[in-house]
Amino acid sequence: MSGIRTSLLQTVLGVSLLAAWESAVRLGAIDKFFFPLPSAIAVRVWDWISSGSIGPHLATTLLEALLAFVIGVATGVTGGFALARMPGLARLLDPYIRVANALPRVVLAPIFLLWFGLGIWSKVALGVTVVFFIVFFNTYQGVKEVDRVWIDNARMLGASERQLMRHVLAPSALSWIFSSLHISIGFAMIAVVVGEYLGASSGVGYVIAQAEGVFDTTGVFAGMTVLSAVVLAVGAGVNRLERWLLRWKA
Amino acid sequence: MHTALEGVSFDACAGTFLSVVGPSGCGKSTLLHIAAGLLQPTRGSVFVFGQRLDGVNHRASYMFQQDALLPWKNVRENVALGLTFRGRSAAESNQLAAEWIRRVGLDGFGDSYPAQLSGGMRKRVAMAQSWIVDPDIVLMDEPFAALDVHTRLRMENEILDLWAGSGKTVLFITHDLEEAIGLSDEVAVLSVGPGSRIIARHKVDLARPRNLLDIRTESRFQELYKTIWSGLRQEVLRSYERD
Repeated sequence: MSGIRTSLLQTVLGVSLLAAWESAVRLGAIDKFFFPLPSAIAVRVWDWISSGSIGPHLATTLLEALLAFVIGVATGVTGGFALARMPGLARLLDPYIRVANALPRVVLAPIFLLWFGLGIWSKVALGVTVVFFIVFFNTYQGVKEVDRVWIDNARMLGASERQLMRHVLAPSALSWIFSSLHISIGFAMIAVVVGEYLGASSGVGYVIAQAEGVFDTTGVFAGMTVLSAVVLAVGAGVNRLERWLLRWKA
Repeated sequence: MHTALEGVSFDACAGTFLSVVGPSGCGKSTLLHIAAGLLQPTRGSVFVFGQRLDGVNHRASYMFQQDALLPWKNVRENVALGLTFRGRSAAESNQLAAEWIRRVGLDGFGDSYPAQLSGGMRKRVAMAQSWIVDPDIVLMDEPFAALDVHTRLRMENEILDLWAGSGKTVLFITHDLEEAIGLSDEVAVLSVGPGSRIIARHKVDLARPRNLLDIRTESRFQELYKTIWSGLRQEVLRSYERD
């Protein structure tokens, strides 16, 4: 009951905010140039979808984000596991990892543009630098904080180092890795869109940059709307996967 | 550097149930970890059936005080874990696991996850998990400390049923003297730490099979309790002073 109530209230809140925005613009209280009509944004989004013009751009952005995500997760998980199992190496690399992580990622975008060109790989590289560190730290933490008694118990039951990894360390780190996946999916999208915005020939970030270039705020807002919707949809998919993989958490 | 145990030298007769009691913080768990090979003694060594222990003691299984079940594996997978690690076939493991699940009274819970079970049920799973690999030695570190008194009595009775006639050597650690006397053939008393040692060993000559529900009222039990407690009492008092 309260669930239905909450979603009802949420809908009311959203609709009234949009209505207030729409009428404020129509009454001339706020400038249409900076805050385009919500209805105009909706029409634009619908135009993009019905004409299919947004399709190739969305595909580019999604492909970049997916590649950044997959490469970032793979390297992050591997690195996190390796360093958690090799404390000596972790101590050695610790200051360098901190320095690398302290660097604001956006400043890398121009460098990556020079290194990897205007195509998708400069955006993928930018996304990887973001995803890698999030997943890396979570995996490292997850493996480090495995309950000692699980390891002792498994070793008493005859587990080899590989079996320990597969049956104890990996599943235990999984819940940590998953909490990082939610964040890193969003960040992967942000990173590749920023990359596209700074220099590309395709992608949602490119569409937004183009619209901004001709002061088409409606186009900018429509691009933002499409991006949010996609990130939410992908996030929902991850949620389902997580619920299944972590079903033992009663 | 904290010396938990010092100059502890003792042996357990094969096939007997030996309990070690002592005040809390006297290094009981350290002793068991050393016997399991999970911890290397700074000095001295462990011999298992005449062989010097190097690394994990593979002839022993260990029931921990804490919950050691893997939460992401269901009851059947947890029970069969030792067999999986030993490379037994899935079919064989499953069949044996099903047998053990029945033996510890958890029929129908094979697909449940530990988080869905009560504390007593989880201990039953842990029991099956450590006995299914058919170890020669069973190490138990206050396995029932977290359970309520009645569940605990039932579990103790079940441990005795499992052990009876199995020929296994049990090393049982507890701070509860009643539990120790009720279960064991012999009770060893550990002095208060740091630098604990074995200060007394008492044979428990109560007839088996025993029913732990009734045994506490027997006069021989109470005699033994008085004798052992007089030594243990000193240590408990000393552990109070130290705190």
